[in-house]
Amino acid sequence: MARVKVKSFSVIRDVLGSEVVEIEVNEPQTVRRLFDELVRRYGQAFKDKIWDPNTGQMAPFLIKLNESMISSTLDIDHQINNGDEIAIIFPIGGG
Amino acid sequence: MAKSFPYGGYIGQLLRVNLSKKGIMKEDLREDWARDFVGGVGLSARILYQEIPPKIDPLGPENKLVMMTGPVNGTMIPAASRSSICAKSPYTKSFFHSIFGGFLGPELKFAGYDGLIIEGRADKPVYIWIDDDTVEIRDASHLWGKDPFTAEDILRREIGDEEIHIATIGLAGEEKAPYAMILCDIRAAGRGGMGAVMGSKNLKAIVVRGTGGVTVPNMLRVYNTAIRINELFATTPAVQGLSGYGTPRNVAAMNEGGILPTRNWQTETFKGMKNITGEAMREQVVKGDRACFACSINCTKYSVVPNGPYKSIINGADYETIYAFGSICQVDDIRVLCKADELCDHYGIDLISTGVSIGWAMECYEKGIFRKKDTDGIDLHFGNADGMLAMIEKIGKREGLGELLARGTRDAAKIVGKDTGRFAIQNKGLEWPGHTCRPFPAAAVGYATGPRGGSHHDIRPTAEKSGLVDRKIIEGKGAVAAEINHWLILGDSMLICHLGEPIWGPLKISDSMINALNAVTGWELDYEGARKIAEREWNMIRCFSAREGFTREDDQLPARFMEEPVPEGPMQGSHIPKETLERLKDEYYTYRGWDLKTGNPTKQKLVELGLDFAVKDVC
Repeated sequence: MARVKVKSFSVIRDVLGSEVVEIEVNEPQTVRRLFDELVRRYGQAFKDKIWDPNTGQMAPFLIKLNESMISSTLDIDHQINNGDEIAIIFPIGGG
Repeated sequence: MAKSFPYGGYIGQLLRVNLSKKGIMKEDLREDWARDFVGGVGLSARILYQEIPPKIDPLGPENKLVMMTGPVNGTMIPAASRSSICAKSPYTKSFFHSIFGGFLGPELKFAGYDGLIIEGRADKPVYIWIDDDTVEIRDASHLWGKDPFTAEDILRREIGDEEIHIATIGLAGEEKAPYAMILCDIRAAGRGGMGAVMGSKNLKAIVVRGTGGVTVPNMLRVYNTAIRINELFATTPAVQGLSGYGTPRNVAAMNEGGILPTRNWQTETFKGMKNITGEAMREQVVKGDRACFACSINCTKYSVVPNGPYKSIINGADYETIYAFGSICQVDDIRVLCKADELCDHYGIDLISTGVSIGWAMECYEKGIFRKKDTDGIDLHFGNADGMLAMIEKIGKREGLGELLARGTRDAAKIVGKDTGRFAIQNKGLEWPGHTCRPFPAAAVGYATGPRGGSHHDIRPTAEKSGLVDRKIIEGKGAVAAEINHWLILGDSMLICHLGEPIWGPLKISDSMINALNAVTGWELDYEGARKIAEREWNMIRCFSAREGFTREDDQLPARFMEEPVPEGPMQGSHIPKETLERLKDEYYTYRGWDLKTGNPTKQKLVELGLDFAVKDVC
């Protein structure tokens, strides 16, 4: 099991209730499993913020994993480890 | 009264006002041009290519200012509130389109016009009053010298109608300052000096009242299309947050991602950003939300700083305000940014060019190129809020160093020399918005080849910024950029807001965009048909630039993005070396069927797109 910190902003932070939350991820310890756990814990309100009902897929966005960048679409099965810090770089765009 | 027009959404009539001759003419909209160029920017490019000769002085009476709507404006299609103002730019010296939201565009259609062409120059200050069929050129001597808000108040009292919609310039426009803007209701046509063109015509304001409507061939189809697009706006994750936080929702997440331009782009992480995020803005200054015509996104915030030295009332701040005066100048107080926004509106200057020009001056100060004797005694250290605000005033009044900065960073760096052009963050003369390209090759080639230069509305970095396409791969990005160009230009011709990007794009023209256009016009365009219109429009604008003498050599990036890798954060090391940019340009031109040496469209491409008339000018 991996214990990770998840950082989020604006509407996602509003749903998670805090800028940083700690989440435990069971095997397989992947990005996909982490988001499944977030949905289980925070329910439909969280899912609405990242799952696109029109495509049935998770929205495309970048994820900061420690000091590197990965993608919700290209790296969904990326391994995560105990102590990792993850930031959801979403939603952004416009301006 | 316009004759019956064969396509839905159009009025079928243009209004032409010649300020030199005091002439007012109503003329039919050409059906073939509507079909080939849709409206908005595409149609304006076609008109201006036809009507203004090359190499004219953009501030001379030969230049024309075209305010245009699109077929979807004034209908219930969401986010179809926009209007375009186009002219040859005194700032970038080529075709320029500045787009604004609010209500003026739909109102112009309700008055009975798809667009307004303004030509010549009045011999004294005037405003144009459009009241349905009645159009007058009125004296504006009493408005000259007034800031836009005061001028609007006077006009509302004078006309006695609260429902009028107004576009007006400030002092900067009157004085033809290169990046003067036009304030339009709650939004602005901010970029490219369109306010200077308006000022050069002695035109203080355009005031519109319309009581008509827009006809569509099948109301139920339009209704159902609008409902579906509203559903998409409400449920698509990437649109969320705009209602609550406006575009400043970006600030904290972009900073965490290492893509928040900071300290005149010396880095892309701002350690003092906590106080200028969308969340901080909502908590500290936002008093309400505002929406443009028929828009459910509701992105505009109404903000008030009630007292103290930064007392201000604004529609904003938008992300670009926070970028240009916050992270670029390293000012970490949202109240100051509200005041900066208000000052730009007061003088009528583009806030992006203003903030980035001050950021450049701050770097000059940091490097010892400017000293206090050069800055009128103002301390221009990064982070000095009061120094930054004082410099906005100087730019607005064109006093002291403000006179230099009002020319923009390209010209200012040429005058100052000392290699300061290397950190002038502009291309084609236009200062950059707050969306980086250093980690994003498609965005890089899009910015470099874009007709306006530093505009994030000729290219969008969103596809790479979201991971929708792999930002680490160079190959194929010329094609990605070209197809992003296409949805943007078709959107700017229909005149829908780019904040609906996930619905209208984001990688290519979407079904939703085509459905909206077809529902309103009664056309039955498929993807290839829509794409061909967009390609024609993009090539039309490129022909305008080529006729002005622009070539491949003008498709550049700011030197900093090619020479200085991001120094820290998760994007550390990212940059676009010159050889990579040249490779991307080759790929982009090849994909477009443009000549690799000149960067101009080829004869074959122009004939294919029905732009044969331009062959003699550019091939």
